[in-house]
Amino acid sequence: MPERERTIPGSIRRVLLDEETIRERVCELADRISDDYADDDDLVLIGVLKGAFIFMADLARELTVTHDVEFIAVSSYERGATTDGAVRLIMDTRSSIAGRHVLVVEDIVDTGYTLEYLLRNFRARNPASLRACVLLDKADRREVDVAVDYVGFTIPDAWVVGYGLDYADRFRTLPYIGELKRRVYE
Amino acid sequence: MTLRDDVANVLIPEETLQARVAEMGQAVNGLYDEEDDPLLVCVLKGAFIFLADLIRHLEIRHEVDFMEVSSYGVGTESSGVVRILLDLESNIEGREVLIVEDIIDSGRTLQYITRNLRTRNPSDLKICSLLSKPSRREVDVPVDLIGFEVPDEFVVGYGLDFAEAYRNLPFIGVLKEEVYTLR
Repeated sequence: MPERERTIPGSIRRVLLDEETIRERVCELADRISDDYADDDDLVLIGVLKGAFIFMADLARELTVTHDVEFIAVSSYERGATTDGAVRLIMDTRSSIAGRHVLVVEDIVDTGYTLEYLLRNFRARNPASLRACVLLDKADRREVDVAVDYVGFTIPDAWVVGYGLDYADRFRTLPYIGELKRRVYE
Repeated sequence: MTLRDDVANVLIPEETLQARVAEMGQAVNGLYDEEDDPLLVCVLKGAFIFLADLIRHLEIRHEVDFMEVSSYGVGTESSGVVRILLDLESNIEGREVLIVEDIIDSGRTLQYITRNLRTRNPSDLKICSLLSKPSRREVDVPVDLIGFEVPDEFVVGYGLDFAEAYRNLPFIGVLKEEVYTLR
């Protein structure tokens, strides 16, 4: 991937994780996943849109184990009540996951409610195994216990954007992870 | 056995692919003015890897959105009518739209998507596809940006699959005939 001078948008306070750091870590995660699933022949990665698509594209290319890729889209219910993390499944997986090894691929885990809800939902479909892989973990924000098997980076509680993560759909396609200035979101 | 063993030959190696994607990114930058705010519409699943790399080369303001469609099954191919499994999150009325596709084959699905999006009155609608198989074209769809023209062979990799496999190969390869005739 060619490196070149990039203007950091004025809304970005600092670059938290640069392209190279992300790339190396994604490779490490892919190596571990390839090892762990080496003996399983029916792995399906489920990416959660929109945030996970860049991570998924880079992770999948580094995997040496055969796998399918699926995407799901979710949206939160409009009226509050997020304590159980319930989300509306806008698009479900195309194929059944029953009896298959499922790895949920997320850009970030925060309070953990949404991921926990998704895992519960998928577990009810009787996969052979079910794990989660997230690029970023805001561990300090966790409110519900959720097992994340593969974590890229544990990061502090700041508003991060780039590499799939957005602020009001902005900054999603920055190639690095940046921390947004407080004035932008406050 | 690895997935690569099922590939008869590499049609577009990784470096060639990456260099062309970078060029296409520059070309996309040139398609829009500073006041534009195009929405890049990625047609899943095939185009997600192309999109993930294309955006690394964009310097213009833009957002991304996703659509997933499926055909209604046998007998409907000629109409090109597809079922929208996932519609856009954004309203595109009055907005510049760039459809990002992995491959254009008969052109029917793309024509349908284009027609569908046009009814929503975007201010501009353009199409960008990594690959095109001109010999397979059945309907005329004006494509603004094409990465590579490829012959009518079973191509996989870089998002393109056969029975969901091979998507993650970092190059475009031609699948061995015995692979798709045996399965």
